[in-house]
Amino acid sequence: MNRLETFTDQWLPIIGKSVIETFQMVGISLFFSVLIGIPLGILIVLTRPGQALQNKILYQLSNLVINILRSIPFIILLFFILPFTKYIVGTTIGVKGVIVPLVIYTAPYIARLMESALLEVENGVVEAYTAMGIKTRSIIWHVLLREARPSIILGLTISTVSLIGATAMAGMVGAGGLGDLAYRFGHLRYEVDVMYATVFILIVLVQSIQSIGNRLAARLKKD
Amino acid sequence: MIVLENISKEFHSKSGIVKAVSDVNVHVKKGEIHGVIGYSGAGKSTLIRCVNLLERPTEGKVYINGVETTSLPLPKLRKARNKIGMIFQGFNLLKTATVYDNIAIPLKLLGYDKEEVKIRVEKYLEIVGLTDKHKNYPNQLSGGQKQRVAIARALAQEPEILLSDEATSALDPETTDSILDLLLKINKELGITILLITHEMNVIQKICDHVYVMENGHVVEQNNAIQLFTKPTHPTTKKFLNTISQRNLSSALISQLHVTGSVTRLTFVGESAGQPLLAEISQKFNVQPNILAANIIELKNGIVGNIVIHLTGEKDQVNAALRFLEEHGVGIENLEGQS
Repeated sequence: MNRLETFTDQWLPIIGKSVIETFQMVGISLFFSVLIGIPLGILIVLTRPGQALQNKILYQLSNLVINILRSIPFIILLFFILPFTKYIVGTTIGVKGVIVPLVIYTAPYIARLMESALLEVENGVVEAYTAMGIKTRSIIWHVLLREARPSIILGLTISTVSLIGATAMAGMVGAGGLGDLAYRFGHLRYEVDVMYATVFILIVLVQSIQSIGNRLAARLKKD
Repeated sequence: MIVLENISKEFHSKSGIVKAVSDVNVHVKKGEIHGVIGYSGAGKSTLIRCVNLLERPTEGKVYINGVETTSLPLPKLRKARNKIGMIFQGFNLLKTATVYDNIAIPLKLLGYDKEEVKIRVEKYLEIVGLTDKHKNYPNQLSGGQKQRVAIARALAQEPEILLSDEATSALDPETTDSILDLLLKINKELGITILLITHEMNVIQKICDHVYVMENGHVVEQNNAIQLFTKPTHPTTKKFLNTISQRNLSSALISQLHVTGSVTRLTFVGESAGQPLLAEISQKFNVQPNILAANIIELKNGIVGNIVIHLTGEKDQVNAALRFLEEHGVGIENLEGQS
């Protein structure tokens, strides 16, 4: 009991700060990744041969870019694009400095998950709406995105979880977060309790995100 | 209403150019039901998709209500498509939307106000007989009910034309019949012109005024339904007719019967169907008709009877009897056995 009290007294503020940092990093980069990833996913579906806006060059180009970005491990990406990060947000350290690499890491991933979610939608439904004389823009919103919603939610759940994993490396540029806490205090300073506590929080976090995602997807599915 | 003029469609595939449709002409007048029948791969699906330009024909022109749609810019083409409803083999409904929304969403997207949407959804749900299912999702419905929703969705735009792309092919015979009855009702009560494609002869039999038989991208035979059922000329047409009635006897059996007399198929249409002609020839020419097979086919616009008879008697008398039958409007076809 005593040990628990001293632990909470000593570490709770630090852990709390790390949780907030993690939430900030995940929240902000997820927001921008969705903003880029979803349209990019729609683009590679619609420009694909045989689709409404088929365009070989655009399709292959966006595919190439997505594949290149997805090939680079996050830890390398973090340093590789330092000049770009500096150009975009004016700094390369702290939470601000890690958002850019996190977005560049996550957006292509979301785009790919979006692609597979949208491809699951039966082409026949799109065709039926085209046959009714409905505009492509409306079809994207009211058919493609609507029907893909359950898969999109599941895809976003997966990307959020992998985003949390990536933030662990954000400590490298001084952005903090739970991963950084576990590494610096838990591993480097042998504060085993801190390590356990952090890992526990991460497990609860991932578990709840996945459950919420699953439940939301199931509710939208209507099967 | 629908005119397809010299339509050809080529597809480029890895193995070269595939000609799915070659030089096909179709003319459907207002209020008629025309059917295209063919085996899978005959090009009928490509053909029907050329009508609303889901597929752009490589050559030829499409006229809808006298307007050439093949050269229309996209916004005008969309307007033209509003007047052409389409139903599909796979129903193509939104899985995540209720029956009500499946009909309402396209109407909203086409710019109808809320009141009008509500009126139309209720009206057409009633016509297809699904008013009590408006809150259900497609996965809670049977195949026939899903197709009814799809029909209501197509009708709610109040089109002048309905295209049916194998709409009954995924349904069991009984459900097929009820959907065909619904299409007939739509045709009669709302005056909607229908062009359908199918590989089922009973669909043609039940609702079509005019039939096109397609094979390898070509229309190999076309005629009004009664003519086609009484005087089929192309082998493919005959094969399709055999699917709904056993018209053929084995050639071994025919050869055997030829020893004692002729084997003839008699086709009765309209008036000739009502007369006791076989009894008459038997008395008049002293021949003995023996009925080997018989069936009756009810078409949309009439009844066609088929009798295969074995006719024995003196050769002159048999020929005179057949001539007599022919004079009374009976179709005569001699069946040959093995040579």
